[in-house]
Amino acid sequence: MSSKAVLSHLHRADGSATYSQNGYTIIGAVNGPVDVQRRDELPEEAAIEVNVRPAVGVGGPRERHLESLIQATLRHLILVRSYPRTLIQVTLQVRSLPEEESAGIGSVLTNSSLTLLPHLLNTAFLALLSASIPLSTTLTSAFVVITSSGKLLYSPSSTDILRAQSIRSIHVFAFSAQRSLLLSEGEGEFDVEEWEDACDLAEDRCCRNAGIAGENMDVDGEVMNLADFLRDVVKEKVVKEQKWKTAP
Amino acid sequence: MATAQTIVLPGDKISLSALPTSPNPNKPLTLGPGLRHIPPSTITTTIAGALVVDTRKNATWVEYNSGRYTPSPSDLVIATVHSSLTEAYNCTLTPHTPYATLPQLAFESATRKTRPILAPNSLVYARILSCTPYTAPELTCVDPSTGKAGGLGPLKGGMVFEISLGMARRLMLGGAKGSVVLLEALAEKVAFEVAVGRNGVLWVHGGEGAQGIKITLAVGRAVQEADEKCLGVKDQRKVVEKALKGL
Repeated sequence: MSSKAVLSHLHRADGSATYSQNGYTIIGAVNGPVDVQRRDELPEEAAIEVNVRPAVGVGGPRERHLESLIQATLRHLILVRSYPRTLIQVTLQVRSLPEEESAGIGSVLTNSSLTLLPHLLNTAFLALLSASIPLSTTLTSAFVVITSSGKLLYSPSSTDILRAQSIRSIHVFAFSAQRSLLLSEGEGEFDVEEWEDACDLAEDRCCRNAGIAGENMDVDGEVMNLADFLRDVVKEKVVKEQKWKTAP
Repeated sequence: MATAQTIVLPGDKISLSALPTSPNPNKPLTLGPGLRHIPPSTITTTIAGALVVDTRKNATWVEYNSGRYTPSPSDLVIATVHSSLTEAYNCTLTPHTPYATLPQLAFESATRKTRPILAPNSLVYARILSCTPYTAPELTCVDPSTGKAGGLGPLKGGMVFEISLGMARRLMLGGAKGSVVLLEALAEKVAFEVAVGRNGVLWVHGGEGAQGIKITLAVGRAVQEADEKCLGVKDQRKVVEKALKGL
């Protein structure tokens, strides 16, 4: 799993981010707070509009479903009360999908909208960071797959899923920095115990460990904690912005 | 600023030991942008950036340079006139946000009979008088205590350049603090006027004629280059040299 993020690379948007992981690349742009249309206006808080655009063609019910899930999650994250009667617009454009998914080989991958969701959420959050929208906490999101043999796979790449042959369920989790569960979506057959195991695994990888940072690194250093990744991205942003302070 | 900076993410709790302690117990702690106080005594961040602590002012804030300009009282801004109402002008500070109102009598020595007539799209250097989340910002071009313009008013001629909000703050801080020597170095050789708006707008007027336009463009582009590349003092001098060569 190699995550990569670029912040503030679009000039015309207030905030933007490109996030890529496992063959998924998503561009996110945030504009806000801006004028809101009268019919969308909320008297006490900022309205949030999420647009998801697929890699090919125009969006359909699948995209609308993802939009509503993302909107509901972001609404609790953004301090909407500080900008009443305004609009915060989040646009997420899928730039590339893993080859297997766009070719339509893995039936689970193409049929489920959930595999895209964690990447969309992470991108949306990074774009919000870049736009300096006041937020109450951070968000990290990941998905866990349970195979028919009961094995848990954390954020498997599409080849991993194809190799695993049959999959029983897919779960998407999003966590705040305080380790509270912000979103949980599941698809397939599973029982409560399996769900709890999947949730624990995702929490472990999404949130910072109370112990030493970097403890979660696998032996080969491949798997990186998402919270640490987020901190690295922000550090890069701050260093870039404050270069003039240290420059000769 | 050689010391290691504290990088904060939204939702980080600021520990009490990280907060400035003032020797004067009567001086309250000031929280700047990017910080939120949750009663009774929790202070958390809302924006990703670097935490800055000023012990002398007993203040702390989060430094960041991205996002849209949000108006706050007593900011100096460059507004664009959009339309004129009977008593006030509608001005834009940033695109796609509600208009800021600039009363027609809020200019130096303006009366009902003598008031400046501003055409749409003309520029005004103004101060934000008031703004709340619920109302449109209100602008003024006079100092309310003296009634003098103090440099504010319509900007005639020249050209605007977009700069980042951080660069605008740096330019307003002045040479030593914001470490910008660009304008002073250019001013040694050529004459020009500038106005810096907190809303990320730089107005440059290099004079009339072909040479004036050349100066305007050279100054504006030099500032934009220093902004984009986040140049330090040394590199700014190089930019100035290059800009002066072209004149």
